[in-house]
Amino acid sequence: MNVLVILWKEIVDNLRDRQTVFYALLFGPVLLPLLIGGGLVASLKQATVSFDQPSALAVKNADQAPNLTQFLYSNNFDIEAAPIDVEESVRRGDVALVLEIPEDFSTAMREGQPAPLVIYVNDGDKHSAKEARKVNSVVNAYSQTINALRMQHRGIDPSVFNSINVRLEDVSSDGFRGQILASILPFLLIVAMVMGGFYLAIDTTAGERERLSLEPLLSLPIARYKLVLGKFMAVLFFVGISSILTAISLYLVFRYLSPEAAGGILSFDAPTIINAWLLSSPLIFFISAVLMTVAATTRSTKEAQTYLGLLMVFPMAPFFILQFVNIKSANLTMTLPMLSQYQLLERIVLKDSISTTHVALSVAGTLLSAALLYFLAVRLYSREKVL
Amino acid sequence: MIVANNLSKTFVGVPGERKRRVVAVESVSFNAEDGQITGLLGPNGAGKSTTLRMLATLVRPDSGNAIIDGHSVTENVLQVRQHLGFMPHNAGIYPRLTTRENISYYAQLCGLNKKTTSNRVDELVDLLEMENFADRRTAGFSQGQKTKVALARALVHRPQTVLLDEPTNGLDVMATRGLRQIIRQLAQAGHCIVFSSHIMQEVAALCDEIAIISGGKIAMTGTLDTLLTTTGQSSLEDAFVSAIGGEL
Repeated sequence: MNVLVILWKEIVDNLRDRQTVFYALLFGPVLLPLLIGGGLVASLKQATVSFDQPSALAVKNADQAPNLTQFLYSNNFDIEAAPIDVEESVRRGDVALVLEIPEDFSTAMREGQPAPLVIYVNDGDKHSAKEARKVNSVVNAYSQTINALRMQHRGIDPSVFNSINVRLEDVSSDGFRGQILASILPFLLIVAMVMGGFYLAIDTTAGERERLSLEPLLSLPIARYKLVLGKFMAVLFFVGISSILTAISLYLVFRYLSPEAAGGILSFDAPTIINAWLLSSPLIFFISAVLMTVAATTRSTKEAQTYLGLLMVFPMAPFFILQFVNIKSANLTMTLPMLSQYQLLERIVLKDSISTTHVALSVAGTLLSAALLYFLAVRLYSREKVL
Repeated sequence: MIVANNLSKTFVGVPGERKRRVVAVESVSFNAEDGQITGLLGPNGAGKSTTLRMLATLVRPDSGNAIIDGHSVTENVLQVRQHLGFMPHNAGIYPRLTTRENISYYAQLCGLNKKTTSNRVDELVDLLEMENFADRRTAGFSQGQKTKVALARALVHRPQTVLLDEPTNGLDVMATRGLRQIIRQLAQAGHCIVFSSHIMQEVAALCDEIAIISGGKIAMTGTLDTLLTTTGQSSLEDAFVSAIGGEL
């Protein structure tokens, strides 16, 4: 009963605090997923060359090379007439790029000489550079075909010139880029949880001490562990709400910004997001307990902000560590809060298999750490020094 | 009713000097009767707050004990708190909650149900004349308003014994007079009031019994008249200086 009174008071009190509401309900759950997740998806979309999507290509003197234009057309390029001032239009971005077929192209072709082609590109413009790579590779393919024909014409086996045939097989689900995109999910979920409880944890502990409201509160006929439990549950509430909102906004970001990411090699569909949230949910307890305990050791809100600010590095640490070091999902690392959730969530997004042992270890390790930290917080509150 | 017996408290570590031992209170004994106002008079740093904190079970005495309404502060902590209303020397109210919410929070924490809480809050708002600001958030309150809210909070569970740590600090003349009146009413209603202050006139005007505390020790106790007679002085101020062994 007492515990619920405290929980309710802390929620009402902190919902009236703009800072808490902004960080718990807006910054972590909405702004970060949009800025980081959205930004990442958008940049990946720009860097990825799609050969399946037809795109327009301005060609100057297209009638000079009907075979080439035919080849380009069958490779998803819609041929258009080039603008009159080629260089200026590419620079201004009126057209992404222009393929110029010089006057002597057909002559050179006919005589079996290297035929010239000019691609006007604006390398400072990402879209133009991307289109250039696409055109280049299609033209290369065309060139290879012509080479083969020319050799066969002279009675040479074209494969003589291919002494080595390298084949690169990427066995990861979606390579490095997928890895980053996959780790963005645990990263944003965890950061949102920390942001969600950050100000509340400070306000209910160090803030209460600073306002000098802790002394009368502790003189009330209520056991210390109940007091800490009420405050802990309030932090838990905000951390939980934050993580749920983040899961929802991540789903929306990936769904609306990138249909490929949502349904392609990476999986960001609703079941994935729900499973990811469930797997990360023990962290709600852990992060709340960490925030409470650390804030309870500090004497002022400023001190609490400093320590918890430093603590913000921890949720980010696995993100960066896993980028550089390849940590195998061993049983031991699976007991570590945060690191285990990072690994599990990445696997879920990459649609890799997850062992039940690992899930059990992750849940148990995280909840146990949370319980230990909670008892530490109760102990801290039982000291006289807490005043 | 309070019977304090040989209360002592030493703190280890002060800001800047972690190993220094500071004797805050040494062998403090005094009684505070029901229906009386007992003043704890002493200069700043004399040990008034530490003594009150030991009585309020916030700090555990190193030695000695105090019995409040039959309960020991070292053993029956929760029962002591049930009988005790404590107002620290800063109001310490929640700025984002209204007056009513501040009081109701404490009422519910003390185990009052919704209906009793609401009645009790109305009663206190009436008693302390807080109608004008009962439903306003306390963020911009004057010191007098804050003190009233804090006092109402301390009284919400009808404690028999009330500890007030320098309650008139920062109050203007009218607010101080108002508060004095309330404190007298409480004593007349049979409550045991302990009131700490470093202001002579206030203690002289209000208290039935005075305990002079200095350097962590009780220098003298008695009614105003007893103190004046014992020290042979004509004012409390002179009696106080004489009692703590100072030069007149």
